[in-house]
Amino acid sequence: MKKDDDFMPKILTFLCNWCSYAGADLAGTSRLKYPTSIIPIRVMCSSRVDPLFILKGYLNGADGVLLTGCHPGDCHYQSGNYHTRRRFAVLKKIFENLGLEHERLRLSWISASEGQKYAKITTEFTQKIKELGKNSTGTEIFL
Amino acid sequence: MDRKIGVYICECGPNIAEKIDIDKVIKAVSPLDDVSIATRYKLLCSEQGKKFLEEQIKKNGLTHLVVAACSPRDHQHTFMTICENAGINPFLFQLANIREQCAWITENKEEATNKAIRLTKAAIGRVRYHVPLEKKEIESNPDVLVIGGGIAGMEASLHLASPQRKIYLVEKTSQLGGVVTNLEKTFPDMQSCPKIIQDKIDQVTNNDNIKVYTNCEVTEILGFFGNFEGTVTQNNNEDKTTVGFNVGAVVLATGCALFDPTDDPNYGYGKFDNVITALEFEKMNLAGNIRLKNGKTPKSVAIIHCVGRDKKGYCSEICCMYSIKFVRYLQNKIPEIKISNFYTDLCLPEKSYQKFYEQSRGKKNDFIRIDSIKITNPGNKLTITHNDEQGNKKSHGVDMVILSPALEPSVDTKKLAEFTRISQDDEGFFAEEHEKLGPVTTSTEGVYIAGCAQGPKSIQNTLIQAEAVAGKILSSLIPGKKIEPEVKVAHISESFCIGCKTCLTVCSYGVITFDSTKKVCVANEVICRGCGNCVAACPSGAASLKHFTFNQLRQELKEAVL
Ligand SMILES: Cc1cc2nc3c(=O)[nH]c(=O)nc-3n(C[C@H](O)[C@H](O)[C@H](O)COP(=O)(O)OP(=O)(O)OC[C@H]3O[C@@H](n4cnc5c(N)ncnc54)[C@H](O)[C@@H]3O)c2cc1C
Ligand code: SF4
Ligand code: SF4
Ligand code: SF4
Ligand code: FES
Repeated sequence: MKKDDDFMPKILTFLCNWCSYAGADLAGTSRLKYPTSIIPIRVMCSSRVDPLFILKGYLNGADGVLLTGCHPGDCHYQSGNYHTRRRFAVLKKIFENLGLEHERLRLSWISASEGQKYAKITTEFTQKIKELGKNSTGTEIFL
Repeated sequence: MDRKIGVYICECGPNIAEKIDIDKVIKAVSPLDDVSIATRYKLLCSEQGKKFLEEQIKKNGLTHLVVAACSPRDHQHTFMTICENAGINPFLFQLANIREQCAWITENKEEATNKAIRLTKAAIGRVRYHVPLEKKEIESNPDVLVIGGGIAGMEASLHLASPQRKIYLVEKTSQLGGVVTNLEKTFPDMQSCPKIIQDKIDQVTNNDNIKVYTNCEVTEILGFFGNFEGTVTQNNNEDKTTVGFNVGAVVLATGCALFDPTDDPNYGYGKFDNVITALEFEKMNLAGNIRLKNGKTPKSVAIIHCVGRDKKGYCSEICCMYSIKFVRYLQNKIPEIKISNFYTDLCLPEKSYQKFYEQSRGKKNDFIRIDSIKITNPGNKLTITHNDEQGNKKSHGVDMVILSPALEPSVDTKKLAEFTRISQDDEGFFAEEHEKLGPVTTSTEGVYIAGCAQGPKSIQNTLIQAEAVAGKILSSLIPGKKIEPEVKVAHISESFCIGCKTCLTVCSYGVITFDSTKKVCVANEVICRGCGNCVAACPSGAASLKHFTFNQLRQELKEAVL
């Protein structure tokens, strides 16, 4: 057994109530399997996710952060996810500039019917994080 | 205040019990601060389970409740009601989803148990910082303002009017009916139209609960869902009398206008005799008088589809069909007539349209695909020059040309969109809330769109929208029933706000306004939808979202990754 397999990462996963959370529920009701590394946090819209939450989660021990929302054009609040997309792009840049591992962040659109996609993406992302190993930036203090 | 948090873990029969070591979860969360009891139960959403929970809250004097069970999409509401029944505020509750997103995603019981512990701890971490929220109830007015007295506005009015619900129907022109009053027959069934529309007009004018204002325009709309104030002004030039009234909802049914073919010199419209628009032809046909300028009956007619389509950049959906209807009119009334249809694309959607087209084809009736067209008038004979599909130049002489122009937004669309704080789409029509998910609602709650005001469409689809609007209003604006605005709304702290207006620019619902005296932004909580976009955008931390506050989410995240 490779050492990798012992490591169960902690992946903070933001889900918007209307599409992605429903998609994640569907993965469960369809009994699709994906790693328990995924720790869901429900918000009403992906646009509620302050980039600071992602930064904090990361600095406080999350090995990866997955941000999900409705597909472009499908946001329950018209255009929230367009803002999400822009904020995410900026945050990635900030991570790069600070020399943080921006590969630990991922944005993905999951609709209410995409249980399968959710299971696939969470599995892939977990694998990727396993390859990157534990997040060593984690501090003791929660900002 | 001392917190006493009760944590209840549902077995969900074997669903959770077999996949998660519930006792281990109980053991992990019991020692946490403020947790006064942590225990398990077979089926919490059963009648017995609900009774059990209610008694537990009362017996143990709990102040907060955490349930670890299924998705909030299943039973959040159930448990919030239990809280209310047991006398604690329903927002002092948090549900941890340990079924759909935990028990059911893995065969590894140990991993599932660890995740369930995390999720339950996160819920406990969060619920500590929940604050009671009060459901607001506001009086609502069931009456409705309908703008536009075409078939859409009339149909919506007829469905909505009742002794408990007055309808104010405002029409700009002197008569009701809109475009349909000009039609002799309708595609695709070729039914006679005047009687149908006259019946509708009579039903509307004879309905005691519909007050019709003809020659009138709406000049102001203020307020929000349940409580709008509308002002209507009479168009008579001399004295502009105004009336104002309160309504709970507004229906925009102002129809659409025809693209003006004088905008494209290739069509010769306005320059040459006997080049007319589709609407002018409908009127001529209805009057039973298809004649040339010189009084003679035309022997040959060209019908040009897609006029202005390129300029507008969209297909108007119905022009092909009414053009084919014109073929029927002409064949009926002038049996020997020669008809040529010029089109760039034939649009024949719907289940019966293809058949309608096929049955309209005949020896004296051509359908010619073109990619450019020009109408000239050498020697007083209308000549059509066009390129066919192979790129060859061809010309035809005809007596009469009927232009079928694109449909465009009616002139007042912009003004009314501003009054009601809704947006216009790229084509200038009123924008629906969502193309797929909210086809007749708009970004302002309580403002609806029906008919061609939303985009070109047939009478059938117009009626479908009018009925949908009526259904929406009937089910949400019930006479005597108070409305409950969203509780989890944005709030802006006056002392922290630096007046940068970032929040104002991201909000899709016009909730936020700038107070220029205080130099701060203010959110109108009654119309906020609670998405939280403004909160994530605010650089100063002045904006917050109830029940999804910075601190509540921070605590949840902290426990989740610890
Ligand atoms: C030439 C032609 C032929 C057609 N033939 C057919 C057919 O055979 N079969 C078919 O299914 N469909 C046909 N249609 C489509 C049909 O006419 C429309 O579906 C229908 O008219 C849409 O109804 P409406 O109430 O949305 O709009 P309209 O009929 O345009 O009515 C809108 C009303 O709102 C009023 N209004 C505008 N602005 C204001 C304002 N600011 N304040 C107050 N009132 C205002 C207008 O005066 C008008 O009375 C045809 C359309 C055209 C142009
Ligand atoms: S509350 Fe949810 S988890 Fe519990 S028994 Fe009912 S459905 Fe199952
Ligand atoms: S929460 Fe959403 S709807 Fe409410 S004010 Fe903020 S951006 Fe607008
Ligand atoms: S974004 Fe924040 S600081 Fe800026 S105006 Fe809005 S509430 Fe005030
Ligand atoms: S509601 Fe899903 S992204 Fe906005």
